[in-house]
Amino acid sequence: MELIGLLRRIVGHHHVLVAPEDVIVYEQDGSILQAIPEVVVLPGSVEEVGQVVRATRGAGVAIVPRGSGTGLAGGAVPAGGGVIVSLARLNHLLEVDLRGRTAIVEPGVINLEVTKGVAPHGYFYAPDPSSQAACSVGGNLANNSGGPHTLAYGVTTNHALGVEVVLHDGNPLWLGGRVPDTPGYDLCGVFVGSEGTLGVVVQGIVRLMRARESVRTLLAVFNRMDDATRVVVDVTGAGIVPAALEMMDQTTIEAVERGAPVGFPRDAEAVLLAEVEGVREYTERALREIEDICRRAGAREVRVAQSEQERAALWKGRKGAFGALGTLAPNYYVMDGVVPRSRLPETMRKVAEIGRAFGVRIANVFHAGDGNLHPNILFDMRTPGELDRVIEAGAAILKACVEAGGSLTGEHGIGLEKKAYMSWVFTEADLDAMARVRRAFDPTAGFNPGKVFPSPPACGEPRRVPAKIPAGLWV
Amino acid sequence: MRPSLLNRLREIVGAAYVLTAPEDTVVYEQDAFLVARAHPDAVVLPGSAEEVAAVARAAHEGGVPLIARGAGTGLNGGSIPVRGGLMVVLTRIDRILEIEARGRTATVEPGVINADLTAQAVQAALFYAPDPGSQGVSTIGGNVGNNAGGPHCLAYGVTGNHVLEMDVVLATGDTVTVGSRAPDPPGYDLCGLLVGSEGTLGIVTRLVVRLLRCSEAVRTMLAVFETIDDASAAVSEIIAAGIVPTAMEMMDGVVMRAVEAAIHAGYPADAGAVLLIEVETHADVLPRMMERIDAIARRHHPRQLRLAEGARERELLWKGRKEGAGALGRLAPSYYLHDGVVPRTRLPEVMRRVQEIARAHDLVIGNLFHAGDGNLHPTILFDPRVPGMLDRVVAAGEEILKTCIGAGGSITGEHGVGIEKREYMRWLFTETDLDAMRRVKRAFDPEGSLNPGKLLPDGSQPTSMMQVGARAWS
Repeated sequence: MELIGLLRRIVGHHHVLVAPEDVIVYEQDGSILQAIPEVVVLPGSVEEVGQVVRATRGAGVAIVPRGSGTGLAGGAVPAGGGVIVSLARLNHLLEVDLRGRTAIVEPGVINLEVTKGVAPHGYFYAPDPSSQAACSVGGNLANNSGGPHTLAYGVTTNHALGVEVVLHDGNPLWLGGRVPDTPGYDLCGVFVGSEGTLGVVVQGIVRLMRARESVRTLLAVFNRMDDATRVVVDVTGAGIVPAALEMMDQTTIEAVERGAPVGFPRDAEAVLLAEVEGVREYTERALREIEDICRRAGAREVRVAQSEQERAALWKGRKGAFGALGTLAPNYYVMDGVVPRSRLPETMRKVAEIGRAFGVRIANVFHAGDGNLHPNILFDMRTPGELDRVIEAGAAILKACVEAGGSLTGEHGIGLEKKAYMSWVFTEADLDAMARVRRAFDPTAGFNPGKVFPSPPACGEPRRVPAKIPAGLWV
Repeated sequence: MRPSLLNRLREIVGAAYVLTAPEDTVVYEQDAFLVARAHPDAVVLPGSAEEVAAVARAAHEGGVPLIARGAGTGLNGGSIPVRGGLMVVLTRIDRILEIEARGRTATVEPGVINADLTAQAVQAALFYAPDPGSQGVSTIGGNVGNNAGGPHCLAYGVTGNHVLEMDVVLATGDTVTVGSRAPDPPGYDLCGLLVGSEGTLGIVTRLVVRLLRCSEAVRTMLAVFETIDDASAAVSEIIAAGIVPTAMEMMDGVVMRAVEAAIHAGYPADAGAVLLIEVETHADVLPRMMERIDAIARRHHPRQLRLAEGARERELLWKGRKEGAGALGRLAPSYYLHDGVVPRTRLPEVMRRVQEIARAHDLVIGNLFHAGDGNLHPTILFDPRVPGMLDRVVAAGEEILKTCIGAGGSITGEHGVGIEKREYMRWLFTETDLDAMRRVKRAFDPEGSLNPGKLLPDGSQPTSMMQVGARAWS
């Protein structure tokens, strides 16, 4: 393949992978979908990305950009064929401007490294997907990632001021900039969340925030899920915006207690973790109010962290929850639906009903404050026909979210996984408007083909495989 | 305009809502960009989203440009029909369709007056945050077109941060829905793209906006300084200390004298500059925040630091601020209100440079602006009857905007580009950057029929279309 020679000349022999044992590493992301790429390229600079794109697209070959491969919707799985362009080597924190509160980062920078780089000066980078120790800022930009603290601080797009992108012709282009609300069309906003379908992000200007004066955390245990979901509605209804408001259900509690026990009562139906950040006077009062709301709703136990150590202990169960699911079943399928908070109680009931109707076990660990559900359907891929039931149950859950006035994804994106469901939330005319924007940037739609939009992939369907229970799968 | 098209429009909206007589259409020749005008060929006032779609389809089939207009308070000439065509005025589509208190959203039509939404939402202890100075007159649809800001955007963000979902009529007359009530909707963020697109991509016919809860406590401080320099330095230091007031507005001596002559709001007319600092937060938090602001302001030689006593004094101070631009009509027959933005850390030096530019061109510049955002509004006073004066005004304005760019800023903070700054876009963007925007424009509007001659540079000089208007908007 002539293209491979060309790519080797651009990035160096070592950075073009074609051997089956090398490329197989790139067949999967955090979803249950797989497709083996033929070629993986790891450019080492913006210029190299430009040349790689020019050569590859010039040869009529598609490109699938990839960060750390922690995505949960199959966005980095090369189901439509093409060359994977991994941005992992572009991993420099290029510039930090504390006075202007911005940082310029390369796409391969690990999310947590941004905060680590500025934390000594009293700043942080707000978007905090649970994969933040492994996922890249570029991948976060592509998926418009959220995280537990999105409730107070917003998703990635609220923190991306500008991006430099390489377009289909290999030319770089800056969109947005350091100044908020740059004149003209908000094309930076269009790129954020476009899941690699418009171009390759090679640099980002992100907003830094000042660390809060005070952080307070509490954990409340409920006998009934309904009581816990009502607390979520009541807390936000009282005008309190916690920095995080996370929920775990009984199945998850069981997994946590089997895996890395933190002392949750196994007969409780739900555990709620609430965190407030801000000035001291506010956090003290907000914490007291949340505690009151929990007790009024019938919490059987409320633990308030009195030290950073105690705070870490409260978070431990939540952070280890996904890994712990492996103690219950060999495989699981993470869903990512979103509903208006006020519809949370009834939607959680509906999720439980769907579990019963399809005969699947569902563990819920999620961003309750955002109304962002993560039902995890537990299963065993070795049981014939089970995967199909799991997929059907997942579709039923998302349909229930849409019917409750919500949407298909809160933070994981559409990727391959949910593209067929896009017609549930968009009309043909809506999707056509998006398609026109895509063609405006990439006339032949050769970036990440077969993703996001409900069209058949170019080269056959990906194989669906179950998630292997991970040494850290993140949501 | 062809009679057949006019007849079709009359069938769609009713004969009373199609204006063609010069004495009727002349009203629509201008907006608040006081130095330019152009006459529409016809004006149509549809009464529903369906009528807007039908009007757009008729204009599309008739090959006529379509210019959307709200209340005409825009400051960049964005609603001036520089190439003629059909103006679609959305002020009849002005219902507040729903206020959903639990979900904190409102569904509104584009012609709803900004302040009317808050007036209604406040019954549920909610408010709509974007508060442009024109909020008593301007429409939410127009605010969306320009991604309008306002004094309280320092804490709450501009219009784009508050629009969740919109129905948009495209150039063909087709309607699409962009965005969603649910957070982070899938697919491309077309809602964000449409906000601030100045009527060049589509016409908004219905929108869902976010409402915020009214704050528990509010305190307003008036900080009086002898010089703009001291006031600017105080702004920089407050922000650097990590304090985000809800609003931090600056008004210089020129503007204060006009305001006091007009409405007696209680501003010290002989001071160099004042800061109007407002903090909205929890009652427990307020005292310490005010103390910290007070301590910082004290380091910059204030003449006086005064807390507004009660709602009446606060309202009066804000009335002075909001009507400040209008009050400038007392000082000169016309003015040119600019809108630049700079990093807050550069505010003191940029403000000094603005004063130098005023002196160099022998002009009076009043400053009334969102200091906390680094969003300047140097307002150049002039008399259109003085030969050559407008040229000096334009030259001074260009120097100010170039100074903003040189300081790492940009040519508009909240007023948009319109015709005014179309050519200035080249100062900020390369041809490659602009081509990307042009491609998006063509994706939505291949024939270029929506609000032609706006936003993107096309080579013609904006000054060439400036006709001197003798009337000030106030």
